[in-house]
Amino acid sequence: MFGLPDEFTPSFLARLEELRIKTRRQYPGMGKGAHLSPKRGSSLEFSDYRHYSVGDDFRYIDWGMYARTDKLYIKLFKEEEDLLTYVFLDASASMGFPAADKKFEKAIATALAFAYVALASGDRVMIRVLAGEGQGPPPSFVVGRHRIVDLAQRLTGLKPAGQTDLATALAHDLIGLRRAGKVFIVSDFLMMPNSIMRGLGLFTVATMDVTAVQVLGTREMSGQGLSGDVEVVDAETGESLRVSIAAQEREQYHNTLIRLSREVRSFCLKRGMHYALYTTGDSFDEFFLKAVTDLGLAR
Amino acid sequence: MGLLNPGALIFFAIVPALVIAYLARERPARVTVSSVLAFRALRGFRKERFGGMPKFDWSFFVELLILSLAVLAMAKPYLIRRGNPIAIVLDNSAAMQAATREGASRFDKAKNETAAMLSNEDASTVALYLTAPQPHQIGGAPLTPIQARFQIAQTSVSDAPPDPAAIAGLLGELASGSSVSKVIFASSRPLAPPAPPRIDAITVGDPVENFAIGSFTLRRETFGAEALHARLTVANFSPKTQSLQVAVSGDDKPLAVAKATLGPNETGLVEFPSLGPAIIYKAELSPRDGFSLDNIAYATAGSVKSVSILFVSPRPGDANGLDSIPGVRVSAKSPDAFTPADLNNIDLAIFEFAAPKELPTVNSMMVMPPAGDPVFGFEATPSAQIQIARWIPTDPLSDSVNFRLLNIGQGELFASHPWMESAVDGAGGSLMLHGERQGHRFLATGFNPFPYLGKRNLPMSILTLNALGYLAGVGANSGGYRTGQPWLVPAGVHDVILPSGKTIPAKSGTLFTEVSAQGIYKLVGPGNLETPRAVNLADLTTSNFESVPPLKIESSSAAPDLESRSEKSPLTGYILAAILALLALEAMLLYRRKQSPLEA
Repeated sequence: MFGLPDEFTPSFLARLEELRIKTRRQYPGMGKGAHLSPKRGSSLEFSDYRHYSVGDDFRYIDWGMYARTDKLYIKLFKEEEDLLTYVFLDASASMGFPAADKKFEKAIATALAFAYVALASGDRVMIRVLAGEGQGPPPSFVVGRHRIVDLAQRLTGLKPAGQTDLATALAHDLIGLRRAGKVFIVSDFLMMPNSIMRGLGLFTVATMDVTAVQVLGTREMSGQGLSGDVEVVDAETGESLRVSIAAQEREQYHNTLIRLSREVRSFCLKRGMHYALYTTGDSFDEFFLKAVTDLGLAR
Repeated sequence: MGLLNPGALIFFAIVPALVIAYLARERPARVTVSSVLAFRALRGFRKERFGGMPKFDWSFFVELLILSLAVLAMAKPYLIRRGNPIAIVLDNSAAMQAATREGASRFDKAKNETAAMLSNEDASTVALYLTAPQPHQIGGAPLTPIQARFQIAQTSVSDAPPDPAAIAGLLGELASGSSVSKVIFASSRPLAPPAPPRIDAITVGDPVENFAIGSFTLRRETFGAEALHARLTVANFSPKTQSLQVAVSGDDKPLAVAKATLGPNETGLVEFPSLGPAIIYKAELSPRDGFSLDNIAYATAGSVKSVSILFVSPRPGDANGLDSIPGVRVSAKSPDAFTPADLNNIDLAIFEFAAPKELPTVNSMMVMPPAGDPVFGFEATPSAQIQIARWIPTDPLSDSVNFRLLNIGQGELFASHPWMESAVDGAGGSLMLHGERQGHRFLATGFNPFPYLGKRNLPMSILTLNALGYLAGVGANSGGYRTGQPWLVPAGVHDVILPSGKTIPAKSGTLFTEVSAQGIYKLVGPGNLETPRAVNLADLTTSNFESVPPLKIESSSAAPDLESRSEKSPLTGYILAAILALLALEAMLLYRRKQSPLEA
């Protein structure tokens, strides 16, 4: 529908409309919005007092305070601004394997879902693609839910390619981000754990609120459908390994993947980040709507 | 170098197949995966493990080499090299027991000199032969010189006399054949010139004086008498007159002593007319000499003391007269009921008007046998009035019989027989035939003596008793059993105990060949009853060390073909050893690789 992924049915979009992004801290926005901003403004939430100055709006004079102190004070309110939302989509080559799992398609759907939630809330969204082949969305904020179609068309034109070192890629992109905000990172995180930790750690330093979504394929989890003597080649590094895979080895492989996934999750939780694991065999809309809290969203 | 089975080289065709198989295995399915991170924890290729197919690397070439070697081994390669096969013929006959001047026996001296000669030969293989009781090869296939020396050291001398004709035949065959380049013959017997050039003779022992017992026989003067008459032949093989003394003991108790004075190279007779009863008799000659084997002789009383007779006849009443003879037990049976098994535990059998269907396993007498029996094949002519025409006066069968008073009446006259001789002739044929077959004595009469036995017609009774005595071994002229001469195992005997005490299983009716030792053999029959049997050297030719006739060898003097002396040295064993070593090496290296950590 309008170039959106198949998962974006009208009912799913309606459910997404009910969600909003939840951050653990307040971030200044770039315009009016629904999120409290550390700036003082005209929201209903009281922030502070200051002495009256000539030219101040009489409507904000606290007359009760004047009666008690015989001095004029102006009530200050917090500003409500939009939230700067950054969605990082891993489009490295590993996202294309196993092809049957359609990991990258699911990752795009996840990124678009986050973008739609943000756009529907009036927030600004910037989607940044790590590696990949093709013309991705421009590195600028978009506003308005109608821009989801444009984003979807841009993202679906991408092909997973190239190698991603999360720490290096995120550090490079972080330099271009002038303001802090909410960060969604969608990746399979199939890389060396120290690279993942250094990359995610950069956002902590930049006081960003991070949600990491790990997308893994069902076949990928169960041994990629391999058996017997196989030479496996890493899609990104080209490194090859000769292995014999039988039931015992398949189970050992599965356990290793699970262990790697838990390490990422454990790191995220320790650093106050949100973490969610999505396996492509699961229903996407069910996952997204049930794991709202883990995804850093709220109804 | 050559190949015994070059056809096996066709299996080299499987080598390319192996290469293809390896190449196919060497390119496993390459699968691009999202990350090899989780695969690093897995083990490597199964084929990289021990027991699996190795990689197409050094192990492939090792296995290729192993396969090639296996195919080569199937082709049975060999190296042709010129060999020096020799044969050793070692005389181990009884004469080699004689002592030499140095004190050692001739046989020990022959062994030492043979081993010394073998050490000087650059022999590749050695075929080792012994001469007694018959020339035979020992050690199976040709031996290495070391094995041959070991075998020579293990051999022992026999009590059996040599068979000069067989030895000469063996030497002639070896000397004229192309299988050996040299023959070493070690013996006390010299070779008659001209000896074949390829025979190196080692002659041990000079002519020495020797006093010997030849035969030792026992006879019972009359059938059923207790005393035995012993007769020994003694010889003086020395250049001077010698007084010899013979002492006879029975069951280890001294019985009698007799002396005889014999001139140089003279043979005499020593008799003991009345020896007391005993089971085993032993005669010892003195003075002793360097060859003790022929200074002792053994004899047994055998079964003459008590005789068990099976009387097979349609008229069993004719056996009544036999019962009156002391020490004789008679059992009668009709011809229809007779089976060969009935002869077990029987000393002799009498077939009256009947004939057995197979050669009896005991001494047997056929009385007026029916015509056309397939075993003996007698041809008899009935005669209404038999006239005695001729008899052998010195034969035990005719001893003390007054043939002029012998009135036989009607009977049968036998035609000449293939292997039985006539003892008494009638006018127109033989009246009594006797002979030996398969170690047993057989006698046939053309008249029936039993109705007259002990009643009237005294000459007939004496003739009958002589016949029974002949069959029972009484008055036998036979020198008994001799070393080196096989004998038939009597019926019912299942074991034979050698003089050494060793027990040999035996089968009735078969030849017993373990007869190399002089002494008393015990034949174990039903109920483990032991019957002694004396076996003696009883060969004065062997005992005569004064004049040993040389051995004449006849062989072609043609030089052996050099090619025929070349030997094919098989290489298969070395190749198999190399295969095993390579397999062990590969297993060890693969094991070490498995132990090392997998690539990170």
